[in-house]
Amino acid sequence: MKEIMAQSLSYPSSEWVSFLRNYGPIPRNDNMYDETIQRASKRKKIQPPTFETTYCSELIENFQSVAPKSIILTGTAGDGKTYYCRQVWEALGGSPEVWQKEAKNKWHVLTLQDKKLVVVKDLSELTTEEKQTLLPHVAMAIAGKSSDKVFLIAANDGQLVEAWADTEKSADIENVRQVIENLLVEDRREQEGFNVKLYNLSRQSSAIIFPLILDAVLNHSGWACDSCNYQPACPIWENKSRLEGTATDRTARERLTNLLELSELNEMHLPVRQLLLLVSNALLGHPDAKDKLLSCKEIPAILDKGKEPLASLYRNIFGENLGDRKRESTEVFKVLRSFGIGIETSNQIDNILIFGADDPEIQPHYDYLVNSDKYYGANLRYQAQQRSYLEGGGEDNRKGDFLKALQTQRQRLFFTLPNKYTTDLKLWNLTAFQYAGEYLNDVCKALQHEKKLPKIIVIRLVRGLNRIFTGLLVNNENELILATSGSYSQAKISRVYEKFISVAKDRGESVSVELSTNRGKPILVVRFSQDIQPASFYLTVTRYEYLSRVAEGALPSSFSQECYEDVLAFKTQVLKQLRLRRQTEDTEEVEESMSIRLLKVNNDGIASPRTFEVNI
Amino acid sequence: MLKLPRPPQIEQSKLNMWVDESIWGHRLYDEQTPWLCILEMLCIVQSEAVSGKAFIEEEINKLHYSIYFRLHLRNILFNNPHIEAITTEYIDDVERWDAWMEEMAKSVGGIDSVDFSYLKSRFTSFDNFAEIVKFLQSSAIEGDSNKRWSSKFVFPYGPDCLYEDLRISGSNKTNDRRFFGRTGELAYLMLCRSGRGAEILDYLQKMGIIASEYASNYRGSKWNQLVIALQPDRDRLEKRPSGSPPYLPYASLPEYVSLADDWLSILRCKLPDYDALPHLVTITGLHLVVYLLNRAKAVLQDNQKPRFVLEIVAPKKTNIRDLAANEYETNNNLPKQAIEYYILSTAELPEWQQCLESLSSLDDARDLLEKHFVWQDKSANSPDELLDKLCADAVGRHKQHLAKFHGTWSKEIGLSSRRSSRRTRYAPTDALLKTLVLACVPYRMEFQEFLARLYEKYGFIIGEKQAQSFIDSGDADREDFTANAIRLERRLASIGLLKRLSDACAYVQNPFASEVPNATSN
Repeated sequence: MKEIMAQSLSYPSSEWVSFLRNYGPIPRNDNMYDETIQRASKRKKIQPPTFETTYCSELIENFQSVAPKSIILTGTAGDGKTYYCRQVWEALGGSPEVWQKEAKNKWHVLTLQDKKLVVVKDLSELTTEEKQTLLPHVAMAIAGKSSDKVFLIAANDGQLVEAWADTEKSADIENVRQVIENLLVEDRREQEGFNVKLYNLSRQSSAIIFPLILDAVLNHSGWACDSCNYQPACPIWENKSRLEGTATDRTARERLTNLLELSELNEMHLPVRQLLLLVSNALLGHPDAKDKLLSCKEIPAILDKGKEPLASLYRNIFGENLGDRKRESTEVFKVLRSFGIGIETSNQIDNILIFGADDPEIQPHYDYLVNSDKYYGANLRYQAQQRSYLEGGGEDNRKGDFLKALQTQRQRLFFTLPNKYTTDLKLWNLTAFQYAGEYLNDVCKALQHEKKLPKIIVIRLVRGLNRIFTGLLVNNENELILATSGSYSQAKISRVYEKFISVAKDRGESVSVELSTNRGKPILVVRFSQDIQPASFYLTVTRYEYLSRVAEGALPSSFSQECYEDVLAFKTQVLKQLRLRRQTEDTEEVEESMSIRLLKVNNDGIASPRTFEVNI
Repeated sequence: MLKLPRPPQIEQSKLNMWVDESIWGHRLYDEQTPWLCILEMLCIVQSEAVSGKAFIEEEINKLHYSIYFRLHLRNILFNNPHIEAITTEYIDDVERWDAWMEEMAKSVGGIDSVDFSYLKSRFTSFDNFAEIVKFLQSSAIEGDSNKRWSSKFVFPYGPDCLYEDLRISGSNKTNDRRFFGRTGELAYLMLCRSGRGAEILDYLQKMGIIASEYASNYRGSKWNQLVIALQPDRDRLEKRPSGSPPYLPYASLPEYVSLADDWLSILRCKLPDYDALPHLVTITGLHLVVYLLNRAKAVLQDNQKPRFVLEIVAPKKTNIRDLAANEYETNNNLPKQAIEYYILSTAELPEWQQCLESLSSLDDARDLLEKHFVWQDKSANSPDELLDKLCADAVGRHKQHLAKFHGTWSKEIGLSSRRSSRRTRYAPTDALLKTLVLACVPYRMEFQEFLARLYEKYGFIIGEKQAQSFIDSGDADREDFTANAIRLERRLASIGLLKRLSDACAYVQNPFASEVPNATSN
């Protein structure tokens, strides 16, 4: 006891830091995540970081209403299903002790005004018999056949559908099963005629939640570093300050939020648990620490050995502090590493990092961007490695060391390059998605604020589509070329002219980039006429990058096979709508001679149809 | 189940024994790729459709049809190296036509009196003509291969595009059955005997490839008309009757119905234009490979259906790769084993015993073998030696073609691969996976159900649930197969055929589903 007291005195934040470690990538039993945190919180008398969750108030309102519907919470592990259940339980008057003590119970019952609320915190925990007992009641409630009970059930998608398979068949059960499957696969909340709402917690945007989580952690009352002796030198303190930013400079957290937003727009969802893991690891990661996460008492030794640069926030974000296996099996690091930050680069940036100290032309950049940061930037170690690399003749592992350090510097630069330099120094060339910056700022943000997109973007996208649609190196930008191969769609080159669709609005035709109505993500829309349904194509970051690169010269079958297939599937859709329009227009041309139109490409790369007539 | 009687004309034909044919029919041929099999079949369908008998087998194993030559068309498309040069060398159209026709007259094949002047009235300029030719060459079947020009085929846009594979020398043309080896005839008979012919014919007509109401003034689709333009009128009438009929040993088999059902599943997706064709080619190829192995196993009296362990290609070598290679090898040897068994089991017959016990045992044995296998031999000295000689001859003959059928066809349809490996093993391509989804998934199917379906229909083993026997025998871990199935999920997702919910649940979706409750765009 005395030792703990003594520790708390010399390391004022230690209890909080030690609690924060629980969220990080330490070895643990994931099934008991929520319970483990609860217990640690009780033991250390620390409140877990709290932040506003997206749907909580909606759920509570539902159960407090006159005619509450049963609610199913689904999503991946770590999306917060158990957390939501507990929040709703406590908000409706359920006792936290009952929840805690009877943790072994598979479900908890609460009496609302005239009904009973049955809360099932994890459907997969139920045995087959228990499911057989429970599910028929659930089906009755959802089908509206009984009204004395209402349910709140948390389940992973897979178990949700599978669970019904084991219960006895009845018309109600079959109907309800079908409805739930439809809601899941079609991504909807409810179906008319059924008393159920499906909340897919995977739909919570990590880009919106992350800033809330970050603030909840950074502003937590447990931080007491101001009264700590190690304060300015301590890497944990350094990381915290950098992540917080200042009133004028919040670059690090902005960039990190950008990466999360891009991941979300690329259909890579990160649940709350992974975001908490990210924050914990970012602040506390160090390859030499116990379980790879620092605790306050390890700081003096780290400082003594001069190993604090290895605690770099910018490395930790990518899980560099962890062993390979752990890193490769942790979702958030897999997602963030898919951007290739540290490996991707441009000549311009590498010149600054490698030669900047000696080259008078780029030295100002070097001083400003690298030298100014003595902690994680051009610290003594880096300078020594740089020297050794440039002077050459070193052993191979010296070179390897520097190249590794270079990676770390690129990672650092991504999070610290000031906004005023991002265009000139091409910030996003530090990632695999060169067009991501444009995507976020000129496309997504513009659309969200209902501004017009720069014309050059739509032009580039159209050029990319044209090259993939035809398989030819065409430069047409004012029209979308619809062409077929004359045999089957799988053929690589399509020379048979079908139609040009005008990009600019013209008699019902247009090609534009808009926000989708249901998910608020950018889509490319091709319109044919007032009466025909348009064809749309989700512009994920990867697809945007793909189209842009093809427009600038990459071959359609390089970069991403998946994108290529996606675009061809879109082409099939577009052709289908074109046919619909032709049917409604009903232009039957009776010709004496028959003609076909093939695309000819001129020296400027502009394709145009040439008519060939044949008389038989 | 009784085998149908052997055709009577065998004795007069060039066949020197009747072994492979007795088991699998006359015949499956390795050098006839799946595409060429379908082309041969389409020729037959069109011919029979005109006489109102498409997919109707009036008399068992007595198929007769008419087939076209269309040599002017073929010379223009595939025996025409000068066209490019002439287009650039001459400026005046009249000169171009003259120069070209002169060149053609020198090198044309299979035509008696050469006259291409009909083309001049069909096309407004030589340049137009050249462009159309180039276009049709780009979509040809076997267009890029190094096969002889008379074995290249224009895309089957319609009835006027169908013709037979020929050997040309000078002005002579012969059907040497080099690439139209009758596999198309067998596939045709299978569809006849499936009972689903009428519906299939309906779809083929809707696609424009077949026309029962065909006459010399038939025009058809735009593309068919383009191909008509390249032919003189008489070529559209000139045909020959087929020769001896093919032989398919059994009047009915579940395999025939499975083949037809898969055809219909694909056709019901109502793919645009001719898109269904490559899928029909692939699925037919798959069914014929399964038929090959089924018949072999029936002869071997092996009740377990043929199975295929499929490796979904992984970056690193896995256990599955070895198992898949082993199964490939096992299956590859089955037909040969079947032949040996078939012949050597003659020794079990009571008639053979009688021969051995008779006074003229060698002669009697010879007669018996000639009766069963249409094979004669004068050199053997004892019945046993006779049997062994027959076996050796049969295997030798088998190795020339039928033994290679499994290997060639499984490669052609994208079922087997040698990518990054010494041994060939079963590893499906994206194209094959697409065809399988179209054939097996009417709208949407849960992933595990899809795996079960693949096993039930074709004997494909991909995931752990179907691999129990391998796991029990210790040849592989459950995890190996689970990982294999996960790789398949990812592959299908990357080609847009699978929707993954965030956890263990995934659905295979047919993008061309015939029943679509609400069509959602991406």
